[in-house]
Amino acid sequence: MNTNLPFLEIECCQLNKMGQSVCGDDFQWARLENENRHIAVLSDGLGSGIKANLLANMTTTMALRFMRSNMDILQSAETIMDSLPVCEVRKISYATFSMVDIHDEGKTRIIEMGNPTYIHLRGTEEILPEGHSQLISQRWPDREMEVWSTSLQLGDRLVICSDGVTQAGLGQQRFKFGWRRQGCLEFIQKKLFQMPEMSARELSECVSSEALFIDPQKKCRDDISCLVIYYRRPRTLRLLTGPPFHREDDARFASLAVSGADQVIVCGGTTANILNRELHTQVSINMKRIRGDDSLPPPGMMKGVGLTTEGILTLTRVASDLESGNWENAPEAAKEIIEKLLASDCIEFIVGTKVNEAHQDPSLPIDLEIRRNIVKRLKEILVNRYRKNVEIMYI
Amino acid sequence: MSIRVEICCGTTCYMLGANRLLKIEEQIPLEWRSRVEVTAVPCNEACNSKESLCKAPFVTINGQLYSNVSEELLLDVLSAKVNEG
Repeated sequence: MNTNLPFLEIECCQLNKMGQSVCGDDFQWARLENENRHIAVLSDGLGSGIKANLLANMTTTMALRFMRSNMDILQSAETIMDSLPVCEVRKISYATFSMVDIHDEGKTRIIEMGNPTYIHLRGTEEILPEGHSQLISQRWPDREMEVWSTSLQLGDRLVICSDGVTQAGLGQQRFKFGWRRQGCLEFIQKKLFQMPEMSARELSECVSSEALFIDPQKKCRDDISCLVIYYRRPRTLRLLTGPPFHREDDARFASLAVSGADQVIVCGGTTANILNRELHTQVSINMKRIRGDDSLPPPGMMKGVGLTTEGILTLTRVASDLESGNWENAPEAAKEIIEKLLASDCIEFIVGTKVNEAHQDPSLPIDLEIRRNIVKRLKEILVNRYRKNVEIMYI
Repeated sequence: MSIRVEICCGTTCYMLGANRLLKIEEQIPLEWRSRVEVTAVPCNEACNSKESLCKAPFVTINGQLYSNVSEELLLDVLSAKVNEG
């Protein structure tokens, strides 16, 4: 796995307007592997609820497709505006958007129509754009578009919000005109001063929560979306699971647990035993951690390596919880793995392919999934839903 | 003499009852409790031979391996060990 290239952590936290079951803003992204580019779009649909979500979703879907094919910006925007269904109430069709196009080396273009202006931070310092132009469609002269260009350096962040953030608290004594971009910027600078390593996920959640908190009744009066893009050195995690097919590979397998990754997780009893033997280490399990949900064995710590858990059951639970997006009540072992996976950017699964005969025991109450299948399932969800770089190595 | 109980928490053992055995401390009579040390261990690979298939869960008590261990069996063995002195 090439961990020398900068990594883009892209996270968008969204809160629905009160009383609505869906968010009227939409966010989509894509990695264009062959062009070394990432593209992302945040759109805010007119109104709220399903109607707004539909407008926003159509906008992000079209915008992403047009960006992917390098279509002219003005033509793209006109096509989007021509295609959106007209609102029966207001007799207009509308969805604002911010499109971001980032090349791996940092060259970035941001196109905005109607959305608050993006924020670019290097540490806590705001970075001004290198270039700016305005595009006006002849057919839609009131829809001006701002085109910004800038360059990202390692450690830079871009923050893009819907107006639900910048207009939070509107009308209050303290925020007569809402939180505004400046209020949001100052809040982010303060947060990053306190926590310089804050992840994109944490920052987007923090900004969205604060926007909600500003309201005197803590009500979400508009859909809130905060997209954070963090351009940084990748955080690496290696997960070892299953004994190698050939015993003579045990030493090489074990050596992978102690080199080349920021964090290591070991899933599986036999796997842990191989590491214990080869690395002369030991697993300790804190018995206090067996309270509560006992559907999974408790996690342990392997000295000099890291988190250790049972294998198949735990990984199956991790995959299910990542798919459902809800792990609040997950047993500790699964929760810890999920938190570590989500805090990492480049994840490498080292999968031993020896079959454990005891797993074929006919008295087992449930069928156990084959290890390779669970890992493939995990890879799919981590790549497609959580935007991780994932590789699998079989041994 | 203290009694060390190691409960295997490998996949097979856990699914066949080790989850309940981990809570055995709550069932140990108060007068023995200070003498018994219960701990979870990763798969001890006792299940990894043809002879021991279908014999999980496994528990090691003072170095001696027990198979097909239920809560009742574990309490019986502990009682015998306590009485041995």
